[in-house]
Amino acid sequence: MRNIWAVATNTIRQALRMKIAAVFIILLIVLLPVMGVSMTGDGTLKGRLQTFVSYSLSLTNLLLSLLTIIVSIYTLTNDIKQRQIYTVITKPIRRFQLLLGKLLGVILLNTALLALFSAIIYTFTVYTPKIYDAGEHELLQVENEFFTARASLVPPEVDVTQEVLEAYEERKKSGQLPPGLSEVELKKQLTKQKKLDKRAAIVGQQLVWEFNNVKVLDPNETLFIRYKYDVSINPPDEQVYSRWDVGDSRQYPAAFSSFMRKDPIRTFRELKVPANLIADDGYLAIRFLNVPLNDTTVIFPPDGLEVLYKADTFTANFIRAVLLMLFRLIFLASLGLLASTFLSFPVAILFCLCVFVTATFSGFCLESFDYLGENLTWVYSYTLRPIILLLPQFDKFNPSKFLVPARLLSWVLLVKVAGLMICIKTFLLLLLAVLIFSFREIAKIII
Amino acid sequence: MEYAVETFSLTKVFSDWWGRDKVYAVDDLNLQVRYNEVFGLLGPNGSGKTTTLKLLLGLLFPTKGRVAVLGGYGADPKINARIGFLPEESYLYRYLNARETLDFYGRLFGLPPKVRKMRIEALLDMVGLKAVANRPVGTFSKGMARRIGLAQALINDPELLILDEPTTGLDPIGTRQIKDLVMELAKRGKTILLCSHLLADVEDVCDRISILYGGKIQAEGNVRDLLLRTNKIQITTDTISENTIEKIKLLIKDEHAECEVTSPMDKLETFFIKTVVDAQQQARPTSGAVSTTGISDFLAAETTQENVLDKLVSAPVSRQSPPEAPTTKSTDSRIETSETKPDDKLLRKLTKPDKPTEPKPVAGDRKVTTQPVKSKTPEPEQIRKSILDRLTNRSTPQNENEDSDSK
Repeated sequence: MRNIWAVATNTIRQALRMKIAAVFIILLIVLLPVMGVSMTGDGTLKGRLQTFVSYSLSLTNLLLSLLTIIVSIYTLTNDIKQRQIYTVITKPIRRFQLLLGKLLGVILLNTALLALFSAIIYTFTVYTPKIYDAGEHELLQVENEFFTARASLVPPEVDVTQEVLEAYEERKKSGQLPPGLSEVELKKQLTKQKKLDKRAAIVGQQLVWEFNNVKVLDPNETLFIRYKYDVSINPPDEQVYSRWDVGDSRQYPAAFSSFMRKDPIRTFRELKVPANLIADDGYLAIRFLNVPLNDTTVIFPPDGLEVLYKADTFTANFIRAVLLMLFRLIFLASLGLLASTFLSFPVAILFCLCVFVTATFSGFCLESFDYLGENLTWVYSYTLRPIILLLPQFDKFNPSKFLVPARLLSWVLLVKVAGLMICIKTFLLLLLAVLIFSFREIAKIII
Repeated sequence: MEYAVETFSLTKVFSDWWGRDKVYAVDDLNLQVRYNEVFGLLGPNGSGKTTTLKLLLGLLFPTKGRVAVLGGYGADPKINARIGFLPEESYLYRYLNARETLDFYGRLFGLPPKVRKMRIEALLDMVGLKAVANRPVGTFSKGMARRIGLAQALINDPELLILDEPTTGLDPIGTRQIKDLVMELAKRGKTILLCSHLLADVEDVCDRISILYGGKIQAEGNVRDLLLRTNKIQITTDTISENTIEKIKLLIKDEHAECEVTSPMDKLETFFIKTVVDAQQQARPTSGAVSTTGISDFLAAETTQENVLDKLVSAPVSRQSPPEAPTTKSTDSRIETSETKPDDKLLRKLTKPDKPTEPKPVAGDRKVTTQPVKSKTPEPEQIRKSILDRLTNRSTPQNENEDSDSK
């Protein structure tokens, strides 16, 4: 253990004294306060806070990720290239201990830097409302919609298999099957159609979502219905009128509270409703009515509606978001070490950057591949897709995604991510690294 | 365990990218290094010396055959803990200073902080780098880096010392120091495997040598035996008169032998050291370069020690015999070796032992000697010895006493 620690402290010294970390540290120390002052968002206090948190966390995340990749690769490839490893590996230290020491050093460095920079970001965020003499209304808004951690309820996906089957049989009976389409393709098309139907409301039509087991800690709290509209025809002022009914629809007459709204299309909006509308058994119904003032069909995108409620404090959520970033850095450090067990510095950097970019845009990658032609899809689904799925999905677990909309990042989710990213993926990377490194002839010169 | 290092049909083939055999760097090598001997591995460039060392230490894997180092495998941490290794160049972390470098290696050995600190200071003293101990080693000259490299190889007080071209980049004084150190360590029961193509170095210090060429042993044996020209005899005297020389010539002629009379030349090494030493004596005390002062300190310790040890050898009661040392070497031959060094006396004269200083208390494992302490003030010799003892972690009775006092 003592020798692992020796290697770890040496790695930190290396990163600091060879001034690899310096560039990143200086950049962040300069940029974070500048961002804190200059970012105004949409002019409101909430907008300002959201923009700052989003950009500063993303920047920190990006720069520390790059730093991690560079340091973890540099520390081992440089030792091998400059041959200091000859004097290290011939001391009583096993090769896996050397790797663990290097990893520990990089992780410790990251933890320290992450703690420093997230503390700067946190301090700026918390003190911004005090610096900018915001009004009562704005303060209340950020209190409810930013400095909190809200859990979300998403309506369950509607099962349309039966309906699709019926529609298919009906068409088959009436001989309306379109030529040139296989059964699978047609059913696919029908499924899409039916699902869209469930999310679309023509003028005068209403949509209902029902939630069970809604547990709010305090019934005096506020619920937030977060939604986004798509439309079939753009209204002239790009606004949609609506009536929202919230409450218990099981009894007659329904115990509903109604809210009249006018919202811009294609942006997320939030409707505040009191939490005491939830029935005692945790039931909650939400009804949307496409009022005749509109002249268009309103469509909710697949992620277009959810119910939010306060579940934790901003600080706790922030800490968990930072931990999420740390997990990502740990993964990258192991990846860098793995790459440097068999690649030279530039090649390893290239390799890791490719993985990093792919993991950062994994959602986009997976989505865009889905639009490939039939034949290509087959090739892709057995080659690239498994590889992308093996990588961690950085975009899915982006801390800003939780902090900007003040969304709860629960411990459960955090542990899940840790389990998947650290316990499984990082462990596998390290195992592979140890295997390669143990069987490598250190003194063999590879050109 | 008969041998400290043994190889069995050791073969290393470097193949090209396609896996085709390219170079036989080491070819069916059977090497045997006995315990407590200084063994020299000689050969021209590219003869497989360094490759052999790398194979011994597990930095390369043999294509065929196997190695045994101290009765085990060279890459096993337990074995590594008993080996000191100085690679062909001192590969050091440029950003660490000398003290941090030694501390890092000490920590790799898991040495406790107290022992580590004590050994680091002793080693810095010994290699003459105490004055620059806080400078990054990246700024060191090649010779200085070599000294630090040597110090790191000694930090664990190794049983087996593997030195690859230890004197490259060193000035003649440094070279002389290394040679003296090697002999001194051998006296203390260490085994030393030395690899070099500088024949003068090897000739002075090695008991046995192997000459490698093309990865194979071309010649092997005792240095004296190999170099002894059995049909010649050399007589060296002080200056004598022409008359006497003629008489001797006649005597020899009676035996029907040829004879040649010349004045022996000084070795260039001796001359060089003498010149530098003179220069040092003339210089004002303040103008002496930092490193030079360091070197003379170290030399003083070394030479005096040798002196002390020579005395100790003749009085066996006061000398601790190292536990791991099977005494295969005749001590007489050692004394003879040191007497044949003309520069030793000179150096000793120059770096006269100063007043004794109180030795620092020694931490670490102690092997208690049975010799009682007679006087409160330690003899200068005793102190000299204690400096090396700090290195090799053996305490003199005086130190023992102090240690118990301080507790």
